[in-house]
Amino acid sequence: MKRPAVSVVCPLYNEEANVRLLVESVRAALSGVVDWELILVDDGSRDSTLLRAGDEAASDSRIRLVPLARNYGQSTATQAGFDAARGTVVVTMDGDLQNDPRDIPDLIAKLAEGYDLVAGYREERQDRFVTRKVPSRVANLLIRLLTGVPIRDNGCSLKAYRRELILNLGLYSDMHRFIPALAVGSWGARIAQVPVRHHARRFGESKYGLSRVWKVLTDLLTLIMLRWFSDRPLLMFAGGAVASMLVGVCFVIAAVLGHFEGGVGVVFPGVAVVAIGLSIYLLMLGLIAETALYNYSDHRLQSRRFGRVVV
Amino acid sequence: MALTEAATTTTSPVRPASGAERISDPDAEVPYLSVIVRVTERPVALEDLYREYAPALRALGRPFEFVFAIESRASHLVPPLEQLAKEGEPVRVIEFARSIGEANLLRYAVERASGELILTLPAYHRVQPEAMPELVRRIEAGADLASARRWPRADGLLNRLQSSAFNGILRWLVGHATRDVACGVQAMRRRVLTETPLYGDFFRFLPVLAMREGFRVVEVDARQHADDRSTRLYRPGTYVRRLIDILGLFFLVRFTEKPLRFFGLLGGGLAGLGSVLLVVLFMQRVLGGQPLANRPLLLVGVIALTLGVQAIALGLIGEMIVHLHASRSSRYRVREGDE
Repeated sequence: MKRPAVSVVCPLYNEEANVRLLVESVRAALSGVVDWELILVDDGSRDSTLLRAGDEAASDSRIRLVPLARNYGQSTATQAGFDAARGTVVVTMDGDLQNDPRDIPDLIAKLAEGYDLVAGYREERQDRFVTRKVPSRVANLLIRLLTGVPIRDNGCSLKAYRRELILNLGLYSDMHRFIPALAVGSWGARIAQVPVRHHARRFGESKYGLSRVWKVLTDLLTLIMLRWFSDRPLLMFAGGAVASMLVGVCFVIAAVLGHFEGGVGVVFPGVAVVAIGLSIYLLMLGLIAETALYNYSDHRLQSRRFGRVVV
Repeated sequence: MALTEAATTTTSPVRPASGAERISDPDAEVPYLSVIVRVTERPVALEDLYREYAPALRALGRPFEFVFAIESRASHLVPPLEQLAKEGEPVRVIEFARSIGEANLLRYAVERASGELILTLPAYHRVQPEAMPELVRRIEAGADLASARRWPRADGLLNRLQSSAFNGILRWLVGHATRDVACGVQAMRRRVLTETPLYGDFFRFLPVLAMREGFRVVEVDARQHADDRSTRLYRPGTYVRRLIDILGLFFLVRFTEKPLRFFGLLGGGLAGLGSVLLVVLFMQRVLGGQPLANRPLLLVGVIALTLGVQAIALGLIGEMIVHLHASRSSRYRVREGDE
């Protein structure tokens, strides 16, 4: 089986009005430029997306359909597309026509300069200001500060990956929002960014809203852990343990001093016991984390993460 | 173990059990439908059960077999079944040395049953036998699992109240559930059972879990059996266990891929409460000059903060385990026959 140069992965959820246009635009942008395939992942749509995507796949052998059995969410749908992709370069793109496939050659050219991941960023974003742009900017700033990965636009789906990277990424839950940070944190990926076009949504409904703030916050916490502590979880828990132990010791001292000055209640010793208890508890959790890491992680894969043969 | 099995993304063709495992005589025609009777609690006379349900299935015109999976407590029910088998009825019996739970009972029986389709019944009457062919037909029409719903109900108010409370809580917490989960009369394709992670008491939620695996689940109204009308009251412990089951399922369905969203909510709330208390006390100490040593609220605040931190830390451990697991296997199912 011949590998196409580029696999374009497109998760679709209730995008019946866009399927046709999407396929057309990819075909127009890439035919004659590179050898491509388009992977349409139907994420359990409730409208006729599956039917239409099936028609497209039947009419063009370069278009393939991965029909998921139910709605799994964008991360898992993207991963399903990755699993099906055969190209040496894999490009992800939204199914809602807000990304423009004409940017794909730029991404690929940048990738060829020696990067593992090229992320697009939207220069002139065509979305509502309050519900979309503001939360997005705050999130991007937070992610940049907390993970140290300087990505301007995490929400832009248009990205190009080297095949080796996607084989190891393992997207789940809602991690698609943080692919660059995940790729740097877990896999030491080299990342570049290029500006891309952005169109306003023409058909269909946006599937995001403000409800995702809590999800993003918890995912962010997870991401920080994975970024800084993924192979030394004991260190993270020990940090908390030391802080808690210090608080405990302070209250022990306060209690002892109070005792000599005559009359100390139950409060200070109580606080000391609780704080020291927390410290011990966190240490134990850290040990459990190390156990999980030791038993679950693929150490051979780990060693391959950061290295690259240069010459 | 069950979780890694769920990682299969491809679909396996229906396979008959290997010949060596067969219990019945090898000359008989291979059954199309295997009826697996789970014999655990309050079983009725099994030979009567067979005589009542077999004619309805015979009307389907396809070869079938009855597999009785019997826990040790009910081993006195075996001799009449052996008698039936001697008379040439398609009856097989699997006996277990100890109580292993309905999920394991069923899993073991399925591996040794030969039918492409599986119909499973409890060892007591739930619905009228006439409902059986309809369940099978729904599978043949394209569903992966057809679950019977006792409707219209003919039993007393107390039974109906218990039942609708159970199903109501389940629906409220888990969302898309069938309306009579406890009925336990279900027809399904073999692969639903081999590919849905199922263990312990989660057996009773098979329709919910199968739906989550991406199988097509339908519900079929079935007339309630006369014997199911008697009023049942269980020990208090049973009700507590059911509630715990639902809670477990709730967590499993909603948060198993993102434990921090659950523990974080719990922990964030507690830690927030604790922090607010501590800040207030601290301000009173600094600005108002009130000594801290005789303020029990200080202890309350510290304990709340501590519990919050503990919950968040547990959530992080959960996330780490999920992440470690996720980079190896992706959990999704591709719709069949479309690619």
